Parts: sequence; C-alpha cells; structure tokens
Amino acid sequence: MNIAVQEKKANKLKSTRIAGKLVNDYWEMVWRAKEEGKLVCWYEGSAINPFLEAADICWVHGEAYSAMLAARHQEVKAQQAAEERGYMKELCSYARTHLGCAVTNQRNRNDADTGVSNAPDDDDLAAKLPAPDMIISAYAYCSTGQQWDEMTSRLFGKKVPIFNVSIPWVWGSKPDAGYLRGQEWDETSKYVARQLEDMVKFIEEQTGKPYPWDRLRAMMADIKTASKLRLEAMDMCTARPAPASFFDWVVSIAPINNLPVPGIVDYFTAVRDEVAARVATGEGAVPKEKYRLFFDGIMNWNKVGWLAEKFARYDAAVICGRYTHMAFWQEPDLINANDPLLGMAQNYLICPNNHAAPILIDLIMDLCKKFEVDGMVIHASRTCRAFTNPQFLIADAATKRLGIQTSMFEGDVTDESFYKDELLNSRVEAMLEAIDSRRMVA
Amino acid sequence: MRLLATLVLEAKPEEDVNKQEILAVFEDAASRPLAYAQAWKDRTGGKVVGSFPMNFPGEIAHAAGTLPMILQESDDAITLGHGLLFPFYCGYTRSMVDQAARQEFNVLDAIMFGDHCVQLLGMADAIRMQLPDTKVIFFQLISSMCDPWTFGRAVESFEVLKNELEEFLGSKISDEAMHESTKIFNRNRQMIRKLYEMRKSGAVSLSAVEMQHIVKSSMIMDKVDHNKLLEQFMAYVEANPEPEPKGIRLHLSGHFCQAPKREVLDMIEDCGAIIVGDDLYHGFRYISTDVDEAGKPVEALAKWYMERNTGVPCPTRVQNDVDWDSFLLKAMEQEKAAGMIVLMAKFCEPHMYYYPEVKEAFEKKGVPHLLIETEHESMAIEGLKTRVETFLEIVKRRQAA
Ligand code: SF4
Ligand code: SF4
Repeated sequence: MNIAVQEKKANKLKSTRIAGKLVNDYWEMVWRAKEEGKLVCWYEGSAINPFLEAADICWVHGEAYSAMLAARHQEVKAQQAAEERGYMKELCSYARTHLGCAVTNQRNRNDADTGVSNAPDDDDLAAKLPAPDMIISAYAYCSTGQQWDEMTSRLFGKKVPIFNVSIPWVWGSKPDAGYLRGQEWDETSKYVARQLEDMVKFIEEQTGKPYPWDRLRAMMADIKTASKLRLEAMDMCTARPAPASFFDWVVSIAPINNLPVPGIVDYFTAVRDEVAARVATGEGAVPKEKYRLFFDGIMNWNKVGWLAEKFARYDAAVICGRYTHMAFWQEPDLINANDPLLGMAQNYLICPNNHAAPILIDLIMDLCKKFEVDGMVIHASRTCRAFTNPQFLIADAATKRLGIQTSMFEGDVTDESFYKDELLNSRVEAMLEAIDSRRMVA
Repeated sequence: MRLLATLVLEAKPEEDVNKQEILAVFEDAASRPLAYAQAWKDRTGGKVVGSFPMNFPGEIAHAAGTLPMILQESDDAITLGHGLLFPFYCGYTRSMVDQAARQEFNVLDAIMFGDHCVQLLGMADAIRMQLPDTKVIFFQLISSMCDPWTFGRAVESFEVLKNELEEFLGSKISDEAMHESTKIFNRNRQMIRKLYEMRKSGAVSLSAVEMQHIVKSSMIMDKVDHNKLLEQFMAYVEANPEPEPKGIRLHLSGHFCQAPKREVLDMIEDCGAIIVGDDLYHGFRYISTDVDEAGKPVEALAKWYMERNTGVPCPTRVQNDVDWDSFLLKAMEQEKAAGMIVLMAKFCEPHMYYYPEVKEAFEKKGVPHLLIETEHESMAIEGLKTRVETFLEIVKRRQAA
C-alpha cells in the first residue's frame, strides 16, 4: 500500500467507535428479553422507544434490525425467507428483511409445534429476533410502514395486539403553512399527541401497570440534552475542513434513535468534544478536503464504511444529508420534558419526508447553504420510495436555486443487489469534474 | 370536438338507442377523460375538480356544482414524466406526472385527494409543482380502519376537505345539495351493481372491457348524464336478452389506481375465459357501497368510507378484522368462478404486501389463481397468452376432477 492511498482514508471520529459496542449490547439485551421475562414490542418508523423503555418493555425497531443485519452482511437469509412466502423484491427491503425474520420465527414455532426439532442456531440472527407481544405502528409519511406492521400482525396470526398511530403528512397549502407553523401544523401536532395518550393507555393494558410518567419525563430530558449536543456538533461542521462527515452522523443514528437512553448523553458529549477539538486543530473528516457535498437519500446500510472510504478517496467531504440532518429528535426545543407528549408528537411529524416538497426543499437548500456545499449526491434507493419521491424536485432546486452540481446513483437500504458501483463512480466523477471546471471559470 | 355522449343524449329518441351505441359513448368518455372534461366545461361553464384514487368521494364536489372526475392513467408513453419520478414507480403515478408535465391537466380547476399511498404522495408533490395555478387540496384520510376513533377522524377529514372546497369555490355546499348528489351517485352505483348481478347470472353479456368502460366512464362523466345512459342501457338489455356467454368462469382481482389495459383483458377472454366478477378499482370496488341518503352528509360519507373497506377490503388500508383473501374466496363462490386472475400493477406496494396472504389462502383452499404483473409500457402479450392458456387448462382439469 503506498502512502498516497493511506492518506486518502476517511478520518472517522474516534468517539463514535463506542456506538458499535452500544449497538451490540442493545441487541444482546433484545435477544435475552424473553428469558428475562420482558414483554417485546415491535415498531417501525417513529422513535416511540422512550415510551416503551420507560415501561420496561423491550423495544425492537424493525428498520434498526434490518439495518443491523445488512451492516453485518447477514440480511440475505431473512430476505430469502420473505421471498419464499411471496414478498416480492420490489417491496421495501427494510420491511422484507424484517418480515423475513417474522416468517422464520413462525416457521420455527410451527415446526416446534409439530415436533420437528428446528431450534434456531445462535448465529442465525433472522431467527434470533424474539417474537412480539405487541405491535405499535406509528409511521410518518410512508404507507408502506403502516402496511408492514399490519403484515407483521397477520404473520403472527393476528394474535398479537396492535395499536395504530396515524401521523398525517404535512401538505402545507394554506397561506400560513410552513416549517413548524400554521394551522395545519398546530392541529396535526395535537391530533398526534392525542393518539400518543391513547397509546400510553394501550401500553398500560399490556403491562397491567400504571404508566411510569416520571421515567418517561427523565428520559425525554436526556434525549433533549443528547439531541442538542448532536446538533451542536453537527453545526460545527460548517468549519473548513469539516471535522466530521455524514457517515459519522450515520453511525450516530442508532444512539439517538433507538439505543437505551442511559448512555446517550455521554456518547454525544464525547462526540461533541471530539468535533470541537478537531475544529480547534483544523483536522478534517477527509485528509484533503477539496469538495463539500450534501447526501440526499436514505443510507445503504451494507455500504456505510465503503462509501465513506470512496468519497474520502475523491477528497470529497460529505458533510450533511437529509437523512441525518433532518430527522431523529431534530427539534429538541419543542420537547418540554415535564410535559413531553406534544413535543414528541411534533418530532415524529418531522421525519425527513413528512413535509410536502416545498417545505422540504427549502430546508434542504438552507442546509446546503449553511454548510457551503459544492454538490449533492443523491441516493435513489430502489425500494424506499418515501425517500426517492421528491428527489427530482430536490435536484432541480439545487441546480436552479443554488447553482450546484447534482449526481444520482441507484442503490437500496438493505438490498445490495440494487446497488450499481460503476454508475456511482462515473456519476460522482463527472460531478466533481464539473465542480472543478466551474471553479476554473470562476 | 363533439363527444359521443352529447350526440347520443341529444340527437336520438330513447327507444332508438341500442346497447352498442351506449357502450360506444361510455368507451369514448373512458378513453378521452380530459377531452370530456373540456367539452363539459365549454357546455356548462362549470368548474372541473379532478381527484386521485381511490377514496375521495365525488359527491362533495358534485354537490358543489362542479364536475368531479377521477384522474386516469393515459395510454401515452411517458416522456417528460421521466424527469419527475423514477421508473420504479407504478404506471399510474408515472403517467399522472407525465400528463401534468405536459400541461394536459390545464382543464382542471382543482384537484382533491385524501389517499396516501407513498407513491401517490410523490406523484402529488410533483404534480403540484407542475401546476402552480391549480388548487391542490389534500387532507389525509385515516387508513387504519377499525380503531375506535376511525369514524370520528374520517368525519373530521371529510369536513376539512369539504370546507377547503367551499373556500376555493367561494360558496357553501348545503346539506340538501349533498343529499341530492348522494342520491344521484347511489342510483349510479345501484345500476352498475345490477349489471354485475346480471353478468354473474348470465342475463347480460358484457366483456371485461365493456364493463370497464361502464365503470370508468362513471368516474369521468357527469353522473346525471351517466345515469340517463345507464337507464337506457338497462332498459335495452332487459328487453333484448342475449344467449348466456360460455367459457371458463373467472374472477379478476387487483389493479387499483389504474384500469387494466384492454389488450390484457381481451387476451384473457380470447383464451376461453369469461369474467363473471371482479374487485378491480375500475370495477366492483368503485361501485360496491352506497352512501346513506339521510342524516348528516359528512357522517354518511365517513360511514361509507368504512363500510366500503369492510365490503371489499382494500390493501391500501389496514384493517385487522377483515381479510381480502376471505372476501375473494367468498365472492368467487357466489360468482361460481372456477379460478382467479390477479392483475398486479408493477411496483404497486400495497398489492405486493397483501399478495402472499391471498396466495396462501388460495393454495390452502385449492382454488387456482394466476398472477399477472402489468406495466404501463407495452407488455409481451404473446408470452402472457401462453401462461393464461396453461392456467385455464389447470382450471379445467380441476373442474373435471
Ligand atoms: S419504504 Fe422507506 S420509509 Fe417506507 S417503510 Fe420502507 S424504509 Fe421506511
Ligand atoms: S396503490 Fe398501487 S397503483 Fe395506487 S398509487 Fe399506490 S402503488 Fe400506485
């Protein structure tokens, strides 16, 4: 290996390394849940986990499980099980992977019922996922999310109680409409908060205990602190060179989104401190920052590290993105830890897709300006149409309003077969060349 | 441009109109919905309100004196739409943005919708950006159908949609007008349902394409005119019985927002099948349920919305206490259908989700079915034909066994 290549490695944050351990510990806890006599709740989409964690219910976020399988390159088995039951390849691969776990679980249960010995082998992570005792469906924007939960319930013979929270899309056509404002926003926020109250009653029915509101309040106070630290660290990436990359923020999604709350303040304090130290010394996320990019789209979970390295080789710092910078307790100031429901409802309404294109695009343009990006990489995730929906409109706005280059590539959240490396290479290279020529003209 | 509808309605005495002539009117409107809208507008000076499938009640817009019209996939190849939605979207959404980008929707004064299939939302955003001068009204209908608050929320949603339309038109929609429109729409649904019954019993011979033209034109035409034509049609078919059609009795299932293509339907029948029932959106799903004609109109619509899904379960909703597969098996029993062809629009996620449930239930019961994925772009009909022929052989063998 020559020195030049070594120099081009992504300079990942050291403080995020602990995320790997936290994630492992969390899944170990999930796998032990039944032995420990815990109730298990499956949910997707919105981060309702504090509600469950406070009530001592083991929470399993479907996307997180699928993403974990993909990141460990163990997604194929689950996807095959789903395919065998007839779930087609064009369906959301997060859902397919997770449903594949449900199919596997049911198969093993049926085999056990009929006396066939089919104890899951300990390395088979698809089979290891404990079956749900309850399902809560609270998916913003994407109908596919809600249907995924419904299908899970059907796969378990409709015997698992399910609770649906409807989180409407913020269409924003009234003159007073905008980000976090207007009549529609106010009414929708209250509508979702009302449902969360009912959801708590559902949780009480399942546990048979009064809901521990104090624990939820304490957790929300910690989440608010962690979120502010995360945003503070992200903001520091306006520095040149950017001290952290989009990929560092991708690694930090689990801590803010679904890991146990104790520990996340420490995690984000460490991240914030490291980012601040890097800014002070001028250390960048890529060794030689030549381009600053925005990443639009959901993550390719089987490609995180790989993409980080690829962009580093191009001297491109991918600084911010819709997935990382417009979601996950994104508006901590809306949370009143003493009375958290409304603020939680509002944060659920701010998923990176749940505002109609005009509002969404304004937010994205603001991020691009704030971080002074030169270009936009757009990951068209084949089976996550929630993310691909506005992408042509976003690309158009980036070109017309900011005059920046954009480049689209096809991939997927957890189905590697949709990923086309050559296309990504040639398109990114073309975009970077275009940035170069524009600079020369300027 | 003259529309056949006006020619037939205005130029001929009722008793002279025959079945084929009326079907030609339905086909004409079904094939040129936007031209129909333009002609209606020129004739009446009224406003046209387009809606997206599958749950927006046209009654509200009709009671407001506008022409409600369910916007349709076009047969044209996608051109400008390629720059707005990816090719891995269902044909309906891609065709719709394409039509918007080509400014073909200029005849519309407003668009209203309440459904939120994820692809439909992407389409809606793209369309709104293409049509800055068209009012696009959306309020999300609750899609979990058996919660204690479903009814209340549905009432609220229809109320908001109605208010927004009133605001746009600058006039109130009275309860009387709503009741009147409800009656007209119910009459329309009842007549078409009667035709379904007649087709099932063999009392009328209607091909799948003809039935589609009847339903599709009802989504497009002024309902009063459509009712007049339907009345003439019913009178004619009742007075002129035809021999009962022969063939392998099939149920057609699926295909939501867009109408299945003519060549696919014709091919299935050419292979020796007769369609005796369906749950297509451009079919029985659209006309399955009536709205209460008395009481509070918005509450009646909410009730209709819920009953509709219990009657003919829709994969775009979630309802734990009804099963699409059981509905299909029961419908087929009543129709004496020997097999089912599932028409699935490629990339339609709600359908892809539910298909395994249907497949499993049918396999368990030993009822043969065949899945055909359809595409907006032209399909390889010859290859499909071989599959349908083989399928019909299987159905025949099962019947003989
Ligand atoms: S399509 Fe995307 S947003 Fe929808 S459920 Fe799947 S991953 Fe979530
Ligand atoms: S329900 Fe199916 S056909 Fe209708 S918009 Fe959604 S994906 Fe397309």
